Amino acid sequence: MPDLDALKAEAKRLLDEGVVEMIIGFKAGDTPLHPQPAFFKTVEEIDRLVYNALCQNNLATYLTRFPKTQKIGMLVRGCENRSVNALVIEGQHPRDGLYLIGVPCEGIIDWRKIIEKTGEEVISVFEQSDNTVLVEAKSGYFTLEKDTLLHESCARCIHPNPISADIVIGELLPEGDPTLAREQVAAFADLSLQERHAWFRQEAERCIRCYACREACPMCYCEECFVDHVSPRWTESGTTPAGMQGWHIVRAFHQTGRCTSCGACERACPMDIKMTYLTEKLNQDMRQKYNFEAGMDTKTPPPFSTITLDDKSRFIV
Amino acid sequence: MSETPKLVLFQCQWCLFSPADQEWVDSQLPANIHLIKVPCTGRINPLYLLNAVQGGADGIMISGCLPEQCHFKTGNIGARRQLEEFSDYLSHIGYEKERIRFLWLDLQDRGIIQKELAAFEAQLEAFGPAHNLATRAVESAGGANA
Repeated sequence: MPDLDALKAEAKRLLDEGVVEMIIGFKAGDTPLHPQPAFFKTVEEIDRLVYNALCQNNLATYLTRFPKTQKIGMLVRGCENRSVNALVIEGQHPRDGLYLIGVPCEGIIDWRKIIEKTGEEVISVFEQSDNTVLVEAKSGYFTLEKDTLLHESCARCIHPNPISADIVIGELLPEGDPTLAREQVAAFADLSLQERHAWFRQEAERCIRCYACREACPMCYCEECFVDHVSPRWTESGTTPAGMQGWHIVRAFHQTGRCTSCGACERACPMDIKMTYLTEKLNQDMRQKYNFEAGMDTKTPPPFSTITLDDKSRFIV
Repeated sequence: MSETPKLVLFQCQWCLFSPADQEWVDSQLPANIHLIKVPCTGRINPLYLLNAVQGGADGIMISGCLPEQCHFKTGNIGARRQLEEFSDYLSHIGYEKERIRFLWLDLQDRGIIQKELAAFEAQLEAFGPAHNLATRAVESAGGANA
């Protein structure tokens, strides 16, 4: 759990000294389960800063919504830091125009797992030092193990520490276990073709096409999405099975070599549709074929934007 | 399987150097092969493959120039990375990756395209029709002409 006072002090200093014009962070939301992204422009506003394990958005999403000339300060966890790096590579914001306040992340709590146990009317949530969470709900008090509440992407996170932040507040955490992280996609690949297809179809067809996954994803910043484009219509995009499946296939494919496994798409989904089994497959292929992991530095461009003659692929004569 | 597999051929316009092959591809293709001529394999967006797959193609062949002989220098190499990954990705969710095949043609090649298409067709017959992702309704039934 980050030291909130230290975060506030640093944020105030940045605004006060004019290092940045704005800090992107979180403030309290309508319910204790949903802190919401906030954009702080004055020192006084910083008092409303909130930072806890229920802050589920990937703040790098908001980076592309501000002018490139603006000096922006941002609270970043491991995944957000990697997303920012990937955006810097793609020219979405100069790295000089950013001040990243790094926070080593112990994982984001999936609010759905809390209300499963306590009922929907939650009054307050406290993270305690012994890795438990005290939840006060209308139905009573609950002490829950934090590890059992973590979001799936966070439970298998490999890089919890911000890797290129300007300042890190809090102690660095040990790296995650890569084998554990890759279990999910390996298990899925072991299923038969028909089983994989059945799972995909079932997940895709529950979609209500709200595009929350697209809005939550830091890498989905196109002015006009392929699915909104009507002339020419690149792919079927209605609420037919072809349109549903097409959206899920192509949304994930557009993240090839860019996805940082933050899991914001799954956390944003109101239908609780699983999506990381698609992006993790693409990440795994990028790792195996091109030894590339998105966002690990601000220099290496993603594999699809580089060309070499000596690729090892089955399409090569 | 009794019916012949439906095939989509993406053909780069620069690499059929012999007039006989060019003529064959342009006007004598069997009815089960749908020809899409492209200015370079680099022009093929993965969405085109998706449209073919959703429209019911049993197999897709992408025919282009050899890696170092691209008319546009590097178009086919860029295509190779994307399309290969896309076919691997489709195999993850139910479309066998053997159904998407690349063919690299040398300028000196004669009659290769016919042989390769025949071999591909034989392989696809063994696989049977691809139902999994063929979800698009036909136009007469209200499907969009994507």
